Amino acid sequence: MSTLVEPNSTTRARQARPTWLSNLLWYLLLGAAAFVTVMPFLWLLMTALKGPTDAVFSLPPQFLPRDPTLANFVRVWEQLAIWRFFLNSLFVAILTVALNLLVSSLAAYPLAKMRFPGRELIFYLLLATLIVPAELTYIPGYILAVRVFNYYDTLWALIFPNIFSAFNIFLLRQAYKSVPNDLIDAARIDGASELRIWWGVLLPVIRPALATAAVFSAVTSWNALLWPSLMLRNRDLYTLPVGLTALRGMFTADFRLISAGAIMVILPILIAFVFAQRYFVNGLGGAVKG
Amino acid sequence: MSIKLQNRLTPYLFLLPALVFMAIFTLYPLLSVGYLSFTEYDILSPPQPVGLENYQKLLVDKIFWLSLRNSLTYLLVTPVIIVLAILLAIMVNRKLPGIGVFRALYYIPVITGSVAIGIAWQFLFDGSGGPVNGLLISLGIIQKPIIFLVDQRFTLPIAMLMTTWMGVGYYMVVFLAGLQAIPEDLYDAAKMDGCNDLQKHWHISVPGLRPSIVFVAVISSLSALKVFDEIYVLTNGTGGILSSGSTMVFYLWKQAFKLQNVGYASAVAMVLLVLTLAFSIFNVRLLEQGEE
Repeated sequence: MSTLVEPNSTTRARQARPTWLSNLLWYLLLGAAAFVTVMPFLWLLMTALKGPTDAVFSLPPQFLPRDPTLANFVRVWEQLAIWRFFLNSLFVAILTVALNLLVSSLAAYPLAKMRFPGRELIFYLLLATLIVPAELTYIPGYILAVRVFNYYDTLWALIFPNIFSAFNIFLLRQAYKSVPNDLIDAARIDGASELRIWWGVLLPVIRPALATAAVFSAVTSWNALLWPSLMLRNRDLYTLPVGLTALRGMFTADFRLISAGAIMVILPILIAFVFAQRYFVNGLGGAVKG
Repeated sequence: MSIKLQNRLTPYLFLLPALVFMAIFTLYPLLSVGYLSFTEYDILSPPQPVGLENYQKLLVDKIFWLSLRNSLTYLLVTPVIIVLAILLAIMVNRKLPGIGVFRALYYIPVITGSVAIGIAWQFLFDGSGGPVNGLLISLGIIQKPIIFLVDQRFTLPIAMLMTTWMGVGYYMVVFLAGLQAIPEDLYDAAKMDGCNDLQKHWHISVPGLRPSIVFVAVISSLSALKVFDEIYVLTNGTGGILSSGSTMVFYLWKQAFKLQNVGYASAVAMVLLVLTLAFSIFNVRLLEQGEE
């Protein structure tokens, strides 16, 4: 599904209309849509660059800063350890993804390739949990975090509840299913253990599906707001979304500083997106037929 | 351990870690929240069973009904997002120089995260001179700026608009993959039959996208039912004037974690669970129809 077939170029050649005119119309349309998706970010950026004499809000609104400055960024950077929020987010995302993929790829193998009593039952149990909103588990999850696991106000609280994901299990199960049985049988005849087959034969083959699951889980973890804001009290442990919420509370009236903070917070994932766009788009969109 | 027994245990051992985590973090919490919904509980002192009291209170709780209504209203996002995402997918499904840049630009809101986007949207809709007010005034639609974020009529619609805007790029990619799976000769045949561009898409793209449409309908409606972030960030955690933007999950959060009415919040959670299950059954029916 990742090989996207481009539309046949002969179709366009056959069109009666002059191509440049039709292309121009398409670009206008595409540009208009891009304006809508990008404008809010540009507005943030421009506000962040505004100096003290520029109006943040005015009628008619002022878009470009007349007195551009980087001072807002400097001030936010000095007052709030955004780099620490970033490291916290990174730590949580990496560990969540690694553990989640480990657990999911182990569980998906027997579901795809083995016959055993109870398989149907487990399958439908997993399917049922796919539907349940995670938010419903937050109240007992909170009590577990405080009373049982003692990881309230630590980063582990953001990792452990997200190691199980029925979605990833189904995604990887689908990938395993497309692996020919001959490949597994050949390895079994050679005397490889199931664990060896899983690690040495299957995982390399399903790497694209693993990448898909990884990106999906990483973006979800990176942007999570509700659960992390329930679990984290200590400011040094804040992730980027929680930190940005706190920042907004700190600088209530100063929209220039809030904008500068927001820009700094979204920068890491934007950079990741620019460099690994293919993985993002395939990873998040390619899950359809899973 | 004998080889035979070991072979028989193998599938379960592979499944074990996942099942343990599922039991602790999904199944146990669901049972527990069900139990707590019949108690009065503030986390500090042990839960006191109160029978059906929480559910009886829900029946006469105006904010609860408002939250339920808002969550159901939120489902309107689904058809809107489907139409917009299909249009975008058709737009970017052509071989033009730089088309990849446009795809990427439409995708940025998907990955940016709700807090930063919420801040940007608060600016856009600011009542003292945000660009939306500026635009509406310059077009002559309104005379005076509207205080969008404090006006209870606008809290929910703006949140829904934000959800649509954040999600449409993701669903566009889903539909793009669907479009590219439609055989090109179908379009050629349609052209020979004298279809114009619009007819071509209506008669071939839309039916061809049916599986993707069902998938998107399921995913986006389930996420609409549990919306929280948009409300939280747009209203700075207040839910809007008189809770005008409160949704089921928002109300659950407020009762449990702001007001410490954990038992009551659990009852809200149970209603949301029933709602989600009912909706999923409806969705499964839809899926089965689609597969016929």
